[in-house]
Amino acid sequence: MIRVVKDKLRLRKRVRRNRPSNGLPLNRVRLLDLTHVWSGPHAARLLADWGAEVIKIEYCQRMDSTRGWLKRFRLYNLTPHHLQLDRNKRSITLDLKESRAKKVFEELIKVSDVVIENFRAGFMASLGLDYNHLKHINPEIILVSMPGFGSTGPEKSCPAYGASLEAVSGLQSLTSYGKGERPRRLKELDMFVGLQGASAVMTALFYRQRTGKGQWVDLSQLESVLTALIGEHLLEYEMNGNQTLPIGNHHPSFAPYGCYRCRGDDKWVVIAVRTDEEWEKFCASVKHPEWKNDERFCNTESRLKSLNQLDILIENWTIKNTHYQAMQCLQEAGIAAGAVLNVKEVCSDPHINQRQFIRTEKEAGKGGLRFPGIPFKVSGENGDVFWRGPCLGDDNEYVLCEILGIPLTELGSFQCGKIGTAYDSEEG
Amino acid sequence: MQDENLKQTMNESALTQVKVIDLTQFIAGPYCTKLMSGFGAEVIKVERPDTGDGMRSRGPFYANEQGLERSIPFLYLNTGKKSITLNLKTSAGLAIFKRLLKDADVLIENFPPKVRLNLGLAYEIIKQWNPKIIMTSISNFGQTGPYKDYKAEEIVEYAMSGLMFLTGDADRAPLAAGPAITQYAAGQTAYAATLMALYKRELTGQGQFIDVSIQECALDLRQLTIMDYLATGAIPKRNSDRHPLCPWQAYPCRDGYAVIVGAPVRHWPRIAAVVGNPELADRKYRRMKDRIRRRYRIEAILKPWLDMHARQDIYHAGHSKGLAFGYVASLKEVLVSPQLQARQYFTQVEHPVVGKHMYCGAPFRPSQTPWQSRRAPLLGEHNESVYCGDLGYSKDEFISMAERGII
Repeated sequence: MIRVVKDKLRLRKRVRRNRPSNGLPLNRVRLLDLTHVWSGPHAARLLADWGAEVIKIEYCQRMDSTRGWLKRFRLYNLTPHHLQLDRNKRSITLDLKESRAKKVFEELIKVSDVVIENFRAGFMASLGLDYNHLKHINPEIILVSMPGFGSTGPEKSCPAYGASLEAVSGLQSLTSYGKGERPRRLKELDMFVGLQGASAVMTALFYRQRTGKGQWVDLSQLESVLTALIGEHLLEYEMNGNQTLPIGNHHPSFAPYGCYRCRGDDKWVVIAVRTDEEWEKFCASVKHPEWKNDERFCNTESRLKSLNQLDILIENWTIKNTHYQAMQCLQEAGIAAGAVLNVKEVCSDPHINQRQFIRTEKEAGKGGLRFPGIPFKVSGENGDVFWRGPCLGDDNEYVLCEILGIPLTELGSFQCGKIGTAYDSEEG
Repeated sequence: MQDENLKQTMNESALTQVKVIDLTQFIAGPYCTKLMSGFGAEVIKVERPDTGDGMRSRGPFYANEQGLERSIPFLYLNTGKKSITLNLKTSAGLAIFKRLLKDADVLIENFPPKVRLNLGLAYEIIKQWNPKIIMTSISNFGQTGPYKDYKAEEIVEYAMSGLMFLTGDADRAPLAAGPAITQYAAGQTAYAATLMALYKRELTGQGQFIDVSIQECALDLRQLTIMDYLATGAIPKRNSDRHPLCPWQAYPCRDGYAVIVGAPVRHWPRIAAVVGNPELADRKYRRMKDRIRRRYRIEAILKPWLDMHARQDIYHAGHSKGLAFGYVASLKEVLVSPQLQARQYFTQVEHPVVGKHMYCGAPFRPSQTPWQSRRAPLLGEHNESVYCGDLGYSKDEFISMAERGII
């Protein structure tokens, strides 16, 4: 269940990490990352990719769940989810309930720009580390809090994971094979919330850059998802008292529009024909020019009425082609079509490769791990995967001794005791 | 209430004094600039004369009646912006556009790359007009690569980024997402990317070009599946939402679907009290590994309890013990959610054609620089104020520009 990387580099000695070059936009920003699971670590990772010095602070008796549940051979340092979500970060261990560690955290606040956390609402306050306290230490500090339901309201302390959030937000009700069918999940919400978290940090940082003023940002994961993904659908319901979705793979006003079986095991192509002009081109490229004169299919309205017959005819064509052939044939004619790619196909796709989306960790050089890259490119210096997610506590010395000036001889007294996972117990 | 209003007006906005020229249409670009206007930027949406943003002609429409000011997604995606019309295909139009860019901070566009270049909007040219500008281009597959001119709809992006292959049931076709998740992800990414470039510009004085690919933004949402594959070779398939952990999914209950998530994992034993079945706290289910192995037994215990209880009761029962339960809510239920009501998340917005309605509010709440809820503009509503007021064209020139079809 929990996968670990089989990696010959895993027993490597800890390397001294230099900060990525100083042409990146955020390389003067220091961010303390108190987040765990997926959404918060993703938010901080996005900023680390673009040069921010992100210090991930973990409580070692309950490490971040992305590290899995295996403790032997320190396998928690080698789970792909941790290596990815914590890449380009530094790792330190602190038990914030302990007064000396708390003092260290307060010292870090003085030399940092941003704190980001996704505890349940009120937890920071229970540690005595709410925004008012942080502001007292450093008036310019920015705190971004990302609890599931926000920091106020009757449900503020409820925990939320992607699976519950997707349901409670109404999102899940919008995706299924048809009205009345069982709702299905998209499973991408955590990452979307992470994008919102990074947006929140950038919004507050930009304002501070111009005014010198820090602030607290209350990010309700629920609200962040509603504004982004469901706003137009909620507005439709509010205005018209009904909703168009779910309609499976079809479209309310385009036809043909859907997913069709191709040659091979579990191979599919999606096709979206939006106008009668595109339909004519479609008929020509699949070599059935007679379809465009067929009265069942001659215009969008008639095609929407004859969807079943239309889909059967189209599938008779797609099944003779591979998904890539069908896509290329239609795209050459200017029709929106796409192969339904699995993850292996994604990673070997010629377009994705030509754009160099997959990156090899820079620090490791040859033989380094490959990572999914960065979703945008800039004309200046680009973000990258500089190093993989760090081993637990790898940067204790750098942060405590170099940044804060604690004598090296005292470092040992900050070493955490027993290591525990976010799961119940050693799982073997 | 009055104090509340006073506080609102006294607060600054995060992006005050940022001027955005918005050449976007449909979803990804407009969502990005909606965020900018919500956080206080001045966004001038440049639309083609007569028909405007293509989204104005796409439904669903208010009261199911077609009209350029009635498209519900358009009304949602363009809150707080100004609208001017301009024909970029005329040389006079392009000259006006150049003037418009002169004191802008950001240009955002989502034309297909070919169309953009045909319009003469290469970054090399834009940069000459305004060297400090941040130009953000959002496109289906990015500005380079063999698919750069491929056509796409939401379903195509969803398919080509590996997301659709994993959505739906093992024995049925891959299933498209209801919401336009790839385009919204691209708009959100473009927002963060543009702010990073603005942040850098404050330090260096340099403008930048940003190439946002909707496909790559979708890949970013699936980063963990990609990472698993790159690191271990795992190729997952559709599995009807059976989560690898247990319990961690939606199950049928008395009146719909309830979500049972056995997390935070350390709180698992509490589920016995919620469900009223002490067996669940037994040692044999103590570890996640055990629960995964005994998945069917756990589900058999949960089933009669789920059948007897209503969704919202299950949701609250889980929460009362600190467990992350949920229920599949309808849009109607979301609109009346006590939590969202208590936080005044929905805000009323009045529009001259469709009237007063409740819109979703801030995606996040900066305490000092709150989100602003304003309505979407009518097509060309700000022509006169922008052309005559900001750019200084005379009334006669303005009328002549309209007559010649330039604006």
